[in-house]
Amino acid sequence: MLLNFDRLGGWKWILVGITGLTAAFLVLPIVFIAALSFGSSQWLIFPPPAWTLKWYEAFFADPRWLEAAGTSFYIAAIVTVLSVLIGLVASFGLVRGRFIGKEGLRALFLTPMILPVVVLAVALYAFFLRIGLNGTVTGFVIAHLVVALPFSILSITNALEGFDKSIEDAAVLCGASPLEAKLRITLPSISHGLFSAAVFSFLTSWDEVVLAIFMASPTLQTLPVKIWATLRQDLTPVIAAASTLLIVITIALMLLVALLRKGLKS
Amino acid sequence: MALLTERDNTTVMGKIRPVRSRNFALTVPALLLLVVFFILPVLSLLLRSVLEPEPGLGNYQALLGSTTYLKIFLNTFSVSALVTVVTLAIGFPVAWALAIMPSRLSSIVFAILLLSMWTNLLTRTYAWMVLLQRTGVINKTLMGLGLISEPLPLVNNLVGVTIGMTYIMLPFIILPLYGVIRKIDPAILQAAALCGATRWQALTRVLIPLATPGMVSGALMVFVMSLGYFVTPALLGGTANMMLAELIAQFVQSLVNWGMGGAAALVLLVVTLALYAIQLRLFGTARMEGR
Repeated sequence: MLLNFDRLGGWKWILVGITGLTAAFLVLPIVFIAALSFGSSQWLIFPPPAWTLKWYEAFFADPRWLEAAGTSFYIAAIVTVLSVLIGLVASFGLVRGRFIGKEGLRALFLTPMILPVVVLAVALYAFFLRIGLNGTVTGFVIAHLVVALPFSILSITNALEGFDKSIEDAAVLCGASPLEAKLRITLPSISHGLFSAAVFSFLTSWDEVVLAIFMASPTLQTLPVKIWATLRQDLTPVIAAASTLLIVITIALMLLVALLRKGLKS
Repeated sequence: MALLTERDNTTVMGKIRPVRSRNFALTVPALLLLVVFFILPVLSLLLRSVLEPEPGLGNYQALLGSTTYLKIFLNTFSVSALVTVVTLAIGFPVAWALAIMPSRLSSIVFAILLLSMWTNLLTRTYAWMVLLQRTGVINKTLMGLGLISEPLPLVNNLVGVTIGMTYIMLPFIILPLYGVIRKIDPAILQAAALCGATRWQALTRVLIPLATPGMVSGALMVFVMSLGYFVTPALLGGTANMMLAELIAQFVQSLVNWGMGGAAALVLLVVTLALYAIQLRLFGTARMEGR
């Protein structure tokens, strides 16, 4: 009855209506910002009086925006590599290991996900001020790595738990060294887990605002920090252009993940 | 076979060795990272709350004894509670619909949910700042329809924060609730109908009670995430309704008062952990897909 779509009767349309409105509520602001980034109005009047590319020109003409985007990408790339490597090794330990306190350790590894980021940001800021890592790429990478690593461990332990270890043992039986078996049999089999670990780690760092606000210095800032600082002054449409570029990158990465999942299934 | 599986640590040189350390070393890099750059800095921040400017509980007395700060605590809780209620009220019907809709319809909604979740937080907040401003689309439309004559103040106040936070939290309640409703056996509701329950009775006495664990757990998660939110309240809220995360940032950044900053951080941390403990106690697992 209530769980059968075709037999809901009039209620069906209420549910569909609410769902449609909610979907619109979620998607329209994103569409709206993308549309405004091509609008000519400085004051973001909608519908725009005319269409233009000048906000994109302003974005690409300003070295500070490009530099911030470059920094973001550079930091996110390093975070991705480290997060996958450390996450992979730790996941082997968590899934294959046998030691006291393993479950506690697993829970500990996920805590950065649930604690308020602002607490970590303030704590790391204090620590980095003392050891001189504030406003450095290293500082950014460490801060982002702490929040990216849980995503990595979660994805890779999931993949590793779904992998039948006897296949690896079979390779060893056929003469492969244990390391060779891991590199040529196990890693390719869990590549989907490694891939989603990489995507989540990248996006976590690329999108991260709160830690970045505290880690940034006048000479080193990521794209979100630049957007944040600009937003506090005015709502210039250049932000809309920058935001649209971010949305395009997000959609591209999401499609990549979806395609890869489809490829794995078939 | 013992030779084929890795080194069998239980029998090395014929002696029985405790198995406690097998593969533990692999987790050491991650553990070191967390201890040095997460646990120790947070503990040291909390320690500063009782050591600076002088040892004692002075910071906590100042924090909990002042009406200004109490107002911020109260505001943090009431905004989070409001956001939780609104997301739950919208999220339940949407999750319900998603669980029973034909998959070609629901996959569109899922794509939208994921897109919204993974769109940059600042982008989403910026969108609402633009939409809600005095000359924004919403005010323009309402005035165009003749519903209001003056633009409504929708931003830098409670309305702005609630809309912005609801926007961000909706996917976090819809996705877990969808999972819960999906697992309910439709036959139970058929049985209710056969026994003569009206639709309304089936909803309030069967479906909602069965979905309650999912609702409580989702609501707790949204509430906890809202408590610690920084960016959206800072940009969409006004100075009159500051939230706890902003207060912590302000203590540290503008006032350089580490003692008070640490004390406020401890309050936030304790409340967060206590609510997660309740969640674990009630449901066994904490949902941790938060950002």
